[in-house]
Amino acid sequence: MELTNGMVMGASLSDTLANMWNAIANSSFFEVTLRLFEGLFTTVELFVLTLLFSLPLGLIICFGSRCKFTPLRYVVKTIVWIVRGSPLMLQILVVYYGPGLLFGWDLLPRFTAALVTFVINYACYFSEIYRGGIQSIPRGQYEAGQVLGMTKWQVFSKVVLLQLIKRIVPPMGNEFITLVKDTALVRVISVYEIIWMGESFIKKGMMWPLFYTAVFYLVFNGLLTLALGYFEKKLDYFKS
Amino acid sequence: MKKIALLLALLLAVSVCFMGCTTGNNVTGTDKVADVDYVKGNGKLIVGITDFAPMDYKDADGNWIGFDADMAKAFAKYLGVEAEFVEINWDNKAMELETKAIDVVWNGMTITDEVKGLMGVGTAYCKNMQVVVMKADKVNDYKTIDSLKDLDFAVENGSAGAAALDALSIKYTAVDTQAKALMEVKSGSVDACVIDLLMAGAMTGEGTSYADLAAGIAVTDEEEEYGVGFRKNSDLIDEFNKFWTASLADGSVETTAQKYNIAKNIIK
Repeated sequence: MELTNGMVMGASLSDTLANMWNAIANSSFFEVTLRLFEGLFTTVELFVLTLLFSLPLGLIICFGSRCKFTPLRYVVKTIVWIVRGSPLMLQILVVYYGPGLLFGWDLLPRFTAALVTFVINYACYFSEIYRGGIQSIPRGQYEAGQVLGMTKWQVFSKVVLLQLIKRIVPPMGNEFITLVKDTALVRVISVYEIIWMGESFIKKGMMWPLFYTAVFYLVFNGLLTLALGYFEKKLDYFKS
Repeated sequence: MKKIALLLALLLAVSVCFMGCTTGNNVTGTDKVADVDYVKGNGKLIVGITDFAPMDYKDADGNWIGFDADMAKAFAKYLGVEAEFVEINWDNKAMELETKAIDVVWNGMTITDEVKGLMGVGTAYCKNMQVVVMKADKVNDYKTIDSLKDLDFAVENGSAGAAALDALSIKYTAVDTQAKALMEVKSGSVDACVIDLLMAGAMTGEGTSYADLAAGIAVTDEEEEYGVGFRKNSDLIDEFNKFWTASLADGSVETTAQKYNIAKNIIK
């Protein structure tokens, strides 16, 4: 008796699960989630590629802004001033439409234009973080390296860099998280990222998908925060 | 002091650069732009649209359909190329055209003086009006223009609806699409919005996305017309006009319009 009862319960449970699955698969919730994942892919792609290019470029800009050759230093500082001082949304518009409007050139593909803008913009912010990190290393360490007969590059790569990375992780993490949310701006040039996808449902009378996108950002940034925390722990090779 | 001087010099240099840039680009004159060859060379006609039922919207499989979408496909076929649809940010339509990001704006665009200043426009093909949309249970209380004066409005930035409200000196909140204006009404943040009659017909009322909203009175006396936008002086305009005359004659405009239930609005 108990056995049959159990079987009946088992069957009804799997039925219920199957019904639930069907309901989910046919629901607008499922459709919306799929569409948002499509947008999320673009967002993540932009995020990863931006970091890939802007982290090294930031270091180059940082060296430029610390260069002993005055004109170069001022040129670099002016670029950093323009890039940090003007709205990112405007920069996206200028990079995408600018070449066509000013010179009649062919346009970059939309995603590429967005990427170029983000790389330049974030490289400028990163360059300042690098600069802060470099300047926080006591002068004495450079002098000690010099006394030991190390070249400038050796001092930087073998002594300064490790301490530098450790010190810049928290401010960098800040920028990474801002970057995730800034990717939403690229919809001004019709790059179909996650907010665009969310907004497209407004035409179908659904408002919740737009707000539902926040869940995706929160999860993404949550994972990012965990990764940064892990990385920081890994860098615990010496007490600072 | 030296540094400040240097900084000022740099500023000057940068601003001169910018000024140099902005003066060089004004293409004027009446020479035809050889767009037909350009489009044929590309093998595709890039059509700038927004999601706007019943003119351009997606079917269940994600293909663009609608009166405008179908006619754009027919026009591309007439030119011997493929139609490619790009969903654009409506605010940027003139820039999209001028920079050749798209070749044509074909999205139930009301012909206004502003539009005519920004682009070349083909023959007007469809009649339109600006109507008030509000919650269905309130719509019958507002039958005159005067009764609208105390309502809070949302309307698409730079649209014909915004112009109509300006003319009536009714204040409004500008939003970036007509769909957002509908959302404002649905969410209750404003009392009413002003959108295209055709869109109101397709998107409000029973069986639609916005079942609890309804279209009320028109806010303009004069009828407006829809047109297709091209680059200024583009030779595509002549091709389009020829194509349209032929399509009116062979009945394909009428058939397509009936399919999307807008036959009574078509200009014959």
